[in-house]
Amino acid sequence: MKATWTLPDGSTKTADVAIGTNLMEAAVANDIPNIEGACGGCLSCATCHVFVDPEWLGKVAAVGDFEDAMLDATEVERTDASRLSCQITMSADLDGITLTVPAD
Amino acid sequence: MTVWKPQDDGYADLSSHDSFAGGAPHNTFARMRRDDPVCWTPYAQGQGFWSVTRHADILALNKQSELFSSAHGIRIEDQTPEEVIARRTFQETDGREHMMARIKVAKAFSKTVIAGFEEQIRDLCVTILDKALAQGTFDATKLIARELPMQMLGRILGTPDEDLPWLVEKGDALIANTDPDFTDHVLDKMTTDEFRMMPFNSPAGAELYAYAKDLMARKNAAGDTNGVLHLIMQPGPDGSVISDTEFRNFFCLLVAAGNDTTRYSIAAGLQAMCHQPELLGRMKSGAVWDTAPDEIIRWATPALYFRRTAMADVELHGKTIKAGDKVVYWFASGNRDEAALDDPYRVDLSRPANKHLSFGQGGPHVCLGMWLARLEVRVLFEELSKRISRIEAAGPHQFLRSNFVGGIKSLPVTVHLS
Ligand code: HEM
Ligand code: FES
Repeated sequence: MKATWTLPDGSTKTADVAIGTNLMEAAVANDIPNIEGACGGCLSCATCHVFVDPEWLGKVAAVGDFEDAMLDATEVERTDASRLSCQITMSADLDGITLTVPAD
Repeated sequence: MTVWKPQDDGYADLSSHDSFAGGAPHNTFARMRRDDPVCWTPYAQGQGFWSVTRHADILALNKQSELFSSAHGIRIEDQTPEEVIARRTFQETDGREHMMARIKVAKAFSKTVIAGFEEQIRDLCVTILDKALAQGTFDATKLIARELPMQMLGRILGTPDEDLPWLVEKGDALIANTDPDFTDHVLDKMTTDEFRMMPFNSPAGAELYAYAKDLMARKNAAGDTNGVLHLIMQPGPDGSVISDTEFRNFFCLLVAAGNDTTRYSIAAGLQAMCHQPELLGRMKSGAVWDTAPDEIIRWATPALYFRRTAMADVELHGKTIKAGDKVVYWFASGNRDEAALDDPYRVDLSRPANKHLSFGQGGPHVCLGMWLARLEVRVLFEELSKRISRIEAAGPHQFLRSNFVGGIKSLPVTVHLS
């Protein structure tokens, strides 16, 4: 499966992501800037914030309650496209997903 | 002047505070990482524990909080279930219960909200530095590192300025409870059980409890909305508000967690500047400020470890951790692990992608105050490096007697002003 991040400088980076891996782990493994993942995906840090590109928003699972609360603590203000990427797990449906990394 | 080197023979007793009185026993950690990464460590005063020393293992275990629980104590010392409950904060909870508490305070400590305090931090730094640097030769832990974190915490919490010296003193007694320089109640030498039900097993905890209660009453009566305490008392997304007990516990936790950790990060940064003189030039270049705070905090590792308790039998590196066993994550060791960090004994202020563990990264309890700590460290060293042309050791430095808080408690320096 593949995921593509649009970086703050406008360039993009695509990486292979195994099914079952979350997109924070994939970003950290591929040195995507501005994705720290400080809590290891435990929903305590909000340092894995991404904007899901509009065409993929309908395909990712809904935002959970704790995720919703933690999205208030992101560095760049949340929008309707905001997700904590540790909560998005790669699946066959998400092959090719595109995300935008917030600028800091 | 030589760079500080670990003093131990590679076989230090990690359960003994004395093993840390000359600095963390890094030769012992290096041996364990190499030969015995999940090492059974006997403990004269209670149950032994497993020492986990490799960076990768700490990360792998820390996120499995259902298997390695925080709810049965997070220090090596054994506690009865009654003591655990009496002294509990949300740091000693797991899962949903922990998340419910954490989301109430997450925004108040977020990078963006904390960034709003930068100018206040800068003003405090300038005042503290001008006073200290004028002395020429002085104890930098006492005159610089000790002052900023507690004054800053006071600002952030909205406590009156005149209470700050008292808070600094109680904060010290609360956590450095194994060093006779800081408390009359040295934990492992205590002959009384009188304080076992109190926060941090210390009478200072009880005094802070009383203070917090009084402070909340005064602020409510005065309609005072300064500081993050106000944010914390707002209803959460589900409409629930923080209870009196939660509030008092949280207050004590902030004093304990935010005070000496930041202090000893600053002290370790100053010590590194004495021993690696090129660091001042790097700071003056202005090019390192995105990365320098994390590197200084890695070098310091003020929280040497936190503990968990295994909830089921787990096999790791040929050892069987049994349900109920204490498991200690030695962040101090992970932060010197060559497998994760290049040249870990050198301070590199522009270290890229610094994967240090000083904030307990990789788990649900990752430091709530990390943005505040990073900001304080950055601004302090920015202002310091503008003001001096040289800093050097004016004598040997001394470490705290504690296997939990890693800190330089006295640091004689001489500074030359720019
Ligand atoms: C360089 C300075 C600091 C260091 C090295 C540090 C280190 C840590 C570590 C290692 C943990 C994780 C504990 C665990 O895994 O059980 C932690 C948690 C915590 N820290 Fe910090 N800390 C620092 C500064 C601060 C500051 C300034 C504050 C607040 C003002 C703070 C508040 C907290 C709180 C409330 C927790 C508990 C979080 C939870 O359980 O969810 N810390 N800290
Ligand atoms: S990694 Fe911490 S919330 Fe996603």
